[in-house]
Amino acid sequence: MTKKPQSFSEAFSELEALTEWFETQEVDVEEGIKKFVRGLELAACCKKKLEEVENKVVELKKKYKEIIPE
Amino acid sequence: MEAEKLTVSQYLALVNQTLARIPSDDFFIVGEVSGFGVSQQKWVNFSLKDEQADAKIPCFMTIYQLGIPLEDGMKIEVRGRSNVYEKFGKFSLSISAYNLVGEGALLRAYQMLKQKLEQEGLFDVSRKRALPRFPQTIGLITSAGAAAYGDFLRILGNRFGGLTILHAPVAVQGSTAVEDIVSAFLQFNNLSAEEKPDVLVLTRGGGSLEDLHAFNDERVVRAVFGSSIPVVVGVGHERDESLCDYAADVRASTPSHAAESVVPDRRDVLRELEHHMERFQFGVMGAVEAHRHILEQASHLFRSFIDGQLHRSRLVMARLHATDERLAYQRAQIRERIENAVRLLLHRLIEEKRQKNELVNASKRLLESFDVSRVLKRGFSLVRSKGKIIRSSESLAPGGRIAIQFAQGNVAAEIVNEKQTKLL
Repeated sequence: MTKKPQSFSEAFSELEALTEWFETQEVDVEEGIKKFVRGLELAACCKKKLEEVENKVVELKKKYKEIIPE
Repeated sequence: MEAEKLTVSQYLALVNQTLARIPSDDFFIVGEVSGFGVSQQKWVNFSLKDEQADAKIPCFMTIYQLGIPLEDGMKIEVRGRSNVYEKFGKFSLSISAYNLVGEGALLRAYQMLKQKLEQEGLFDVSRKRALPRFPQTIGLITSAGAAAYGDFLRILGNRFGGLTILHAPVAVQGSTAVEDIVSAFLQFNNLSAEEKPDVLVLTRGGGSLEDLHAFNDERVVRAVFGSSIPVVVGVGHERDESLCDYAADVRASTPSHAAESVVPDRRDVLRELEHHMERFQFGVMGAVEAHRHILEQASHLFRSFIDGQLHRSRLVMARLHATDERLAYQRAQIRERIENAVRLLLHRLIEEKRQKNELVNASKRLLESFDVSRVLKRGFSLVRSKGKIIRSSESLAPGGRIAIQFAQGNVAAEIVNEKQTKLL
């Protein structure tokens, strides 16, 4: 069930959708457990991203861009 | 020496050559705007009046140069080149740059532009866009050396990580500020979809109205308004405001506040994340619980169904049993009835037969005894030969023995003659 690397925003949105699913549906156990596992994956992915400390600053040049690590 | 003769045009050309020698770029002329007007929606005309002396310079420029609004009575400084327009012989100053002088003029210009843009709808709340909740790339438009830059990045880093900040270094005040900022907006908006930031931040520290002129310049305000990427503007200290603030999707009071507006605090997000996990954990547990409940209910139902079936089967069995007994009883009854009937029938048949036999016998006896004896009594005799009654003499031969029965007694006799025509 692992998808290609998601952005934090995508992972979090999916997580929110899962929560909503759990709260608005008549939850089917089998489907529920599947989604629960997916939710755990997403939460782990989000947590990992939240643990990132560094932000990368890239200087935008008029004609070309150069990557300068902070 | 005879004076040189020049045509009007030649003379005016000489005047203009002379005027061109003035090092116009080296100074600003300070004065007050008077007789401001726009002709053909293109040409801006006014006179620059001396504040003390009764003196004035006719000035003109195009409407496109009018970044800061002007009106009569405003104190400005202008830079430009003067010449005489040959056709009318009129002296004028062609303006290349101008600035407002003094807080009064700046404030007035600010208010005028604010009113104009407001009427145009640039500050409408209805067109403000929501910022993405978790931006990945942030476009930062500010001066690299300024405190605002450091503040913004520090607060941003405190709140969230793993972000990419695309920084467009610009002058935030001075003569190139407007052009720098406008081109930075243009550049960000023209980036490819992958490179394009999720949000733009235009920020700088506080300052006087004069320092903030670029943020109140119509071109910059329009760049903020026209950006396809949502814009956060954070200028100065809390009490400062700029026209860019009004045009921005989100107005932040300071560079630090701009950082706070752009990204959530990771601790809040973590809490929310845990909350989500709790909720769907709860959801799945609930589902399992409900499932268990359903199972229990189902097994209960099943059990009661089975019990019911068993009960019914027992009832049916009992009923069948009862039926069986009844059937047996009925069968016995029928059998008895049949037996009785048969017995009766047999009895009847036997009786009938017996009666018939009796009748036959009686009749026979009666016939036998009655007829012969009576005939015999009347004098007839019965001749038998070998047990058979003889009805013709033909069946007798001479020497044959016969028995004669009379009414009273019998005799044995022997045939003497077979034919006797004359009776004895």
